[in-house]
Amino acid sequence: MPLTPSLEKKLAVVVGDAWVISDPHRLLAYESDGLTAYRWAPAGVVLPKNTDEVSRVLRILSEEAVPVVPRGAGTGLSGGALAKERSVIVGTARMNRILAIDPDNRLARVQPGVINAHLTEAADPYGLYYAPDPSSQSACTLGGNVAENSGGPHCLKYGVTSRYVTGLTVVTYEGEVSRFGGLGREPAGYDLVGLFVGSEGCFGIATEIQVRLLPKPEGVRTLLAIFDKLEDAGRGVSAIIADGLLPAALEIVDGPTIRAVEASVYAAGYPTDAEAALVVEFDGVKAGLSADVERALTHCRNAGAREVRAAASAAEREALWQGRKKAFGAMGRIAPDLLVQDATVPRSRLPDVLARISEIAKRYELRVANVFHAGDGNLHPNILFDRGDQKELARVEEASKKIMAVCVEAGGTITGEHGVGADKRSFMSLVHGPAELDAMRRVKAVFDPQGKMNPNKVLPDLLPDPPHSPALPVPEPLKASV
Amino acid sequence: MNPIAALLADELPGGRVLNSFRAETAWALCERVPQAVVLPETEDEVAQILGMASEHGWSCVPRGRGTWGRGGRPPDRVDVVVGMTRMDRVLAHEPSDLVITTEAGIGLDRLARRARRGRQWLPLDPPGSTRGSLGATIGTASAGPLQAGFGTPRDHVLGATLVTGDGRLLRLGGRVVKNVAGFDLLKLVPGSWGTLGVITSLTTRLHPLPELDRTLLFRSSEVSSAALLARAIAAAPVTLAAVEMLTLEREDSRCGREPRVAVRILESPAAAGEVDRIVCRAAGQTPLARLEGRGSQAFFDDVRAMENGAELVLRLSLLPARLSRLVKAAAGLRDLAEQDAGWGMRMAAHVHTGILRVMIARLERSEGWLDRVVSVLARVRRSLEAEGGGLVVSEGPPDIVRSLGAWGADRSPRELVRKLQREFDPVQILSAAPWES
Repeated sequence: MPLTPSLEKKLAVVVGDAWVISDPHRLLAYESDGLTAYRWAPAGVVLPKNTDEVSRVLRILSEEAVPVVPRGAGTGLSGGALAKERSVIVGTARMNRILAIDPDNRLARVQPGVINAHLTEAADPYGLYYAPDPSSQSACTLGGNVAENSGGPHCLKYGVTSRYVTGLTVVTYEGEVSRFGGLGREPAGYDLVGLFVGSEGCFGIATEIQVRLLPKPEGVRTLLAIFDKLEDAGRGVSAIIADGLLPAALEIVDGPTIRAVEASVYAAGYPTDAEAALVVEFDGVKAGLSADVERALTHCRNAGAREVRAAASAAEREALWQGRKKAFGAMGRIAPDLLVQDATVPRSRLPDVLARISEIAKRYELRVANVFHAGDGNLHPNILFDRGDQKELARVEEASKKIMAVCVEAGGTITGEHGVGADKRSFMSLVHGPAELDAMRRVKAVFDPQGKMNPNKVLPDLLPDPPHSPALPVPEPLKASV
Repeated sequence: MNPIAALLADELPGGRVLNSFRAETAWALCERVPQAVVLPETEDEVAQILGMASEHGWSCVPRGRGTWGRGGRPPDRVDVVVGMTRMDRVLAHEPSDLVITTEAGIGLDRLARRARRGRQWLPLDPPGSTRGSLGATIGTASAGPLQAGFGTPRDHVLGATLVTGDGRLLRLGGRVVKNVAGFDLLKLVPGSWGTLGVITSLTTRLHPLPELDRTLLFRSSEVSSAALLARAIAAAPVTLAAVEMLTLEREDSRCGREPRVAVRILESPAAAGEVDRIVCRAAGQTPLARLEGRGSQAFFDDVRAMENGAELVLRLSLLPARLSRLVKAAAGLRDLAEQDAGWGMRMAAHVHTGILRVMIARLERSEGWLDRVVSVLARVRRSLEAEGGGLVVSEGPPDIVRSLGAWGADRSPRELVRKLQREFDPVQILSAAPWES
């Protein structure tokens, strides 16, 4: 149902006519996020430019009990920005100013629509940078990163978004403006910043974000190790960690992914008969890096690496990363559709879990290509398929459930960095019992008593489901197109 | 046995309720003597105790290893102390995952010994005794100098089991570093001061033991120049494990009476030399001393113990770059100390986070002293708050804490905080929020 003319008018008084979108053709751009299989036209889109406008817009919408969905750049991978039930999208696109960079205190204050990579560019002249670097960092917004508690390849050493957010201005559904945290003052009361980060737009909209910046590391060294067996690459990772080394990143791409990349325009020069490529990166003061790299190289060779390469220049470093960073893009060439999973397992269980994923793929006659953050156990098994083949689609959904169950059984969780959104709601009871889900519902209700802020996301519907039951129906259709 | 203790003893397995305890010493909290002291051994027992307390309206205060009993606002009433000393087991330690799961009553010293077997450690150095419990450290979000390099409790905790005020058992977070499955209720646990429930177990992230531990000691003739020196070092383009600015009131064998800046470097041997050079360049001087290995650790153990024996401990804060202003504010507190008692007044600043700790061995007690202390602290607090900072009384005579409030003006949305608390403790039997004045 579209916006009523009177509502549209009220919203336009606040933000201006140009920033209320109700034309169905223009709304097409807001039908989905990065998980494109889900599509739902919003009732309308409003684009406020500051905290005050967000507050006034939300007051108007909440008075009429219109559900609200916050949206950043729409790069999320869990359907979190999907606007069902005649929701109105409140977009942060116009709130894209870096409000302050404070090099003395190593802080920045930004609006939520600032693109992740732009903050690092702005901090660069001061020798600082913003550490969390999700793969979509050239497009995704910091507001979206706050909502999803985004990670990235370098969070093995540096941690995820929640570690860097020190203060927030938040507007709740009723339009109330609150300030959480802020450096300079010891927090009195609960860590509301920590609670809000990762709440996937269900508690409110962050309209200003204070983040910590880090000094840029003096040097970076990257190496690539090629293995004939995936398990050997896993052993290499374990040996590096057991030796007390803490690389900035430890990333693995498996054989099917290597072959997909090498057959694409993104060819990175990885040998196509290899079964795993391990990218290891160290950063810090230059003097310490060579010794760390040497030790890591030794561990890779001892684990059975048939070839190791260390980048000598920034260009070579880029080339070593190419196969990892372009993996998702390359897979589009070999299959029309791709289901990206995001489960995390304890690192020690990686070899076992990978073997079981491979068994599941075999059993369901599916192609699975693995790309993962090996250092922190965050897997991205990509199931390749053709959505036109209904039988194959059913197998994909079954296999997907099985993979998540295997990861949870190994002591892991269903999502490490993509979020639950609309996509994994029905799997929440795999990892949380009824008491925990109930506690989450209560906390959500404290922020949003009417339940209209990004409704029907994250938490499963209240069904009489048994605890830890893996058998809930999968949302239809559970897949992402590339 | 009083009625509360008797009811608890009836329901719980034998030996959990203390028959007699020396109320005036070990189990009293800020002069409040509990009706019963109970020492549960399992999380189900904790749930049973809190369930009973909610039913009967007994006020409960969780207690760790009893090494620090005076933080925050003194409780108005204590019926039951839930002592966690018997819940001190290591539940799982998988060195290759850099993760350890323990019961909450485990002492930090025991946890450290266990982690060291896997050549790992938990880089948390809260003030006070190393025997303090992990649960209390996390519950009060206590951190020390190492927060510069490793963060505060919220950055170390991956998972927790929390028994809510009404006896629900919640398993929050998990045991993997990256986990975004649902709302992050775990973040409410560090710094909740026992207001949401009793923490019964914790999963924390470990780090590899550093290969090299070095402390550089720099000297400065005045506190004001020490503050500038400390900031210059903190601005060096390198991540340091700790940077502390310290003063001692009495003569010290290493530096005399002069203030000093201590920089802790935890690196590989190859990197440490380079970091050392970068720090010295930023400081514009060579260090007075380089302490290596155990010497370095012992120095920071001393920093950790600086609050021990203090009658008044304050934490003054502003944005980190304004350390000089903090030092000036603290100068006005010197007259509160009894000049001839103990070590007078000490200061220690976490230079990276803008927190200056002021410790006074014994307050000067001439006529009207209590009002004078309250009025001086209130004035300093007001001036810091006006500049976006604050003053927390983390330890002090109960009368002073009661009249000042431990935290001062509250910038966080109070109603939201209260509503959250009620979702975890509907009958409100748990510790009063220490930040409420």
